[in-house]
Amino acid sequence: MTLNWMGLNMRKFKTSLYLEIKVYLKGKRYLKGYKIKGGFNMAVNVKTATCESADKILESFIADLDFDTCHHRIGTQDIKCGFGLQGVCCKLCANGPCRVTPDSPKGVCGATADTIVARNFLRAVSAGSACYLHIVEKAAWNLMETGKNKGNIKGKDSLDELASLFGIAEDDEYEKAIKIGERVLGDLYKPRFERMELVEKLTYKPRYDRWQELGILPGGAKSEVFDSLIKTSTNLNSDPVDMLLHALRLGICTGLYGLFLTNRLNDIMLGEPKIRLASVGFKVLDTDYINIMTTGHQHSLFAHLEEALTTDHAREKAREAGAKGFKLIGSTCVGQDMQLRGEHNQEVFAGHTGNNFTSEALIATGAIDLVISEFNCTFPGLESISEELMIKMICIDDVAKKANAELVEYSYEDREKISSYVIEEAIKSYQNRRDKVVINIPENHGNDNTLTGISEDSLRDFLGGSYKPLIDLIAKGYIKGVAGIVGCSNLVSGGHDVFTVKLTKELIKRDILVLSAGCSSGGLENVGLMSPEAADLAGGLLREVCKDLGIPPVLNFGPCLSIGRLEQVATELASILNVDLPQLPLVLSAPQWLEEQALADGAFGLALGLPLHLAKPPYITGSKLVTKVLTEDLEELTGGRLILDDDVVSTANRLEAIILAKRVALGI
Amino acid sequence: MRRIMIDRYKCEACLGCVLGCMVEHNKKGKSIYDLDLEDMANESRNHVEVDYENRPAPIICRHCEDPECVTTCMSGAMTKNEETGLVEYDKDKCASCFMCVMSCPYGVLKADRINNEVIMKCDMCSNREVPRCVEFCPTRALYMVEVAR
Repeated sequence: MTLNWMGLNMRKFKTSLYLEIKVYLKGKRYLKGYKIKGGFNMAVNVKTATCESADKILESFIADLDFDTCHHRIGTQDIKCGFGLQGVCCKLCANGPCRVTPDSPKGVCGATADTIVARNFLRAVSAGSACYLHIVEKAAWNLMETGKNKGNIKGKDSLDELASLFGIAEDDEYEKAIKIGERVLGDLYKPRFERMELVEKLTYKPRYDRWQELGILPGGAKSEVFDSLIKTSTNLNSDPVDMLLHALRLGICTGLYGLFLTNRLNDIMLGEPKIRLASVGFKVLDTDYINIMTTGHQHSLFAHLEEALTTDHAREKAREAGAKGFKLIGSTCVGQDMQLRGEHNQEVFAGHTGNNFTSEALIATGAIDLVISEFNCTFPGLESISEELMIKMICIDDVAKKANAELVEYSYEDREKISSYVIEEAIKSYQNRRDKVVINIPENHGNDNTLTGISEDSLRDFLGGSYKPLIDLIAKGYIKGVAGIVGCSNLVSGGHDVFTVKLTKELIKRDILVLSAGCSSGGLENVGLMSPEAADLAGGLLREVCKDLGIPPVLNFGPCLSIGRLEQVATELASILNVDLPQLPLVLSAPQWLEEQALADGAFGLALGLPLHLAKPPYITGSKLVTKVLTEDLEELTGGRLILDDDVVSTANRLEAIILAKRVALGI
Repeated sequence: MRRIMIDRYKCEACLGCVLGCMVEHNKKGKSIYDLDLEDMANESRNHVEVDYENRPAPIICRHCEDPECVTTCMSGAMTKNEETGLVEYDKDKCASCFMCVMSCPYGVLKADRINNEVIMKCDMCSNREVPRCVEFCPTRALYMVEVAR
């Protein structure tokens, strides 16, 4: 269908733009058997080259696609506004946009670069925090409804653990579930002047004491977000330090509630992670099945559908339609959550295909029949591809409503109706499209031996019931330290997953064990770093440990929500050593952060007192004060600090130096 | 000879060219993140003005064929390089008489704001293939062309 100009594939010449003469069949290029009326329309299409990916099979698959994806569009957005990059553009009022320059050092209102940057930063953190709080809020409501309706409780250990932590004395498991949900929601809905009650129960004692001294214990989480919007509105707060402290408070709300509690509530409803080997990448696609792809972060919204798809009734309907059955195709973080808890859903869950910037390529394979979205990362770029490939889009939470998706708002009460509707629509889509579209799945993408199911509990069990063996390995020097590689992928730090993969390889080479949670883990698993064979890429000492235990040097904790699980691992290590978190030989990096949510996670990391690396500055460098507080002064307050570095080796050097210094301070 | 061309109707007054110029001439480094936007020593050689119809107008040195700044320069600080076609400025020869500022038909030249001594003169980013102002322009209002001598 595609003729390259003069028989030459101009892409080989590495030009940023190349001319391609295309034969358009009335714009319906992907429909087989389309009747051509009035002959060919010839058009000259100027196509943008795609960006680099760490995952080379994905990179060449996307480069050959005739669809427009993020990987194509990044080249069309390569000129960035310098004021935006430095965070010194303000459009909070009609006098704007104001930009700070040496000629105009203040906005019309008198706001300095420090005020403008701090306001922009706090707004971003509060939006990110709001996202995670939405996720935990929905999970808590679903848990309460599960309890009231005596629904399926798969994670009884988590239920008992949380009930005893919260001091809930009920015997009945459903009553426990209801009470746990109530306690979580009770905190989220408190006014800002009332402290949330669970914070102390969920926080390591030395940390809690530090937060109390600093005056950053949060009031009601949603009120904290609400008030940060007030603070950052037109001509209100102009104190950069007050706003940065507010960002830390939002970090605590995000981490303890949005991350940690979401995991535990979902573990109760959907089962605890169990360590196992799993298949990842596009190789999990099987065109014999009706394939339903998921995007989002809210596993509990799929609890009923996962069960409905395994009923005899559903199997029978799929067979009638000519398919072998249904498969859930994991994509983005909710796919990571399904993979993490894959032990409990082996029949229907096909595997995790990839992270945020893999999702457009996934639907472009043509093998997906229906997409269910409920949160980010659901790119608007999915819309045009799904239309061309006749893929039905259903959105079950309007916060992620795509323009071409049908909104079927999830509620526990209507779960059966919704699952039936999804099944009907998936069958209809499958029957309608499969003979009309081209299926194009890249070969050998991904692998069959990614170690998954790792959580704070399953890892402890694996180590024999205590984290002591891990501490011994660290103390003896077999493992120099631990790095949490978290966050997203973006397309600006060298390309898709490029910085993440290079930094991870650099760290394991130096005997630093890497734990990953977030889209970063999607990239790391597809390039094989989470398979036991990756031990060969580690330094001699770490390699020996990995080979002995049969584990990879990069451990897959799954979705970004699992940053909450990493915090639990850190807390356990600290409590065994009887030290506070900042003393551990532990560093965090969100090398390729993308979203406001990542900044809220980052604020949690800084509140925990951990060094946090970012490759791209979070739009703060225009303010000397904000930059100094976050990169230097914060160490005196929480113990954490921001490290900004866009060079892989230099970053690895700095993170290793921190780990070595902390080892010396601990006397190991 | 390479020249910067201006399509003023594409200009959105984002000041990208102004930032680009300051980034390239910043002594502390060539990255946008090295640029201190509160430091008066960072000064741009180009500027964006608003015309009588309230439309933005990027003001950028044309390196004129018959440059008034060179003609009026008494000390020999402004010279036309016949080989490259660029109008070059030697601050060591400059007497700060500002005749060039007065004579520039485009109003692009100005004295530095701190000492009021040195002329802020475009050097086409010396050896850079594409000048920073052109590189930073998101609307392509600034673009490069090769012109005959």
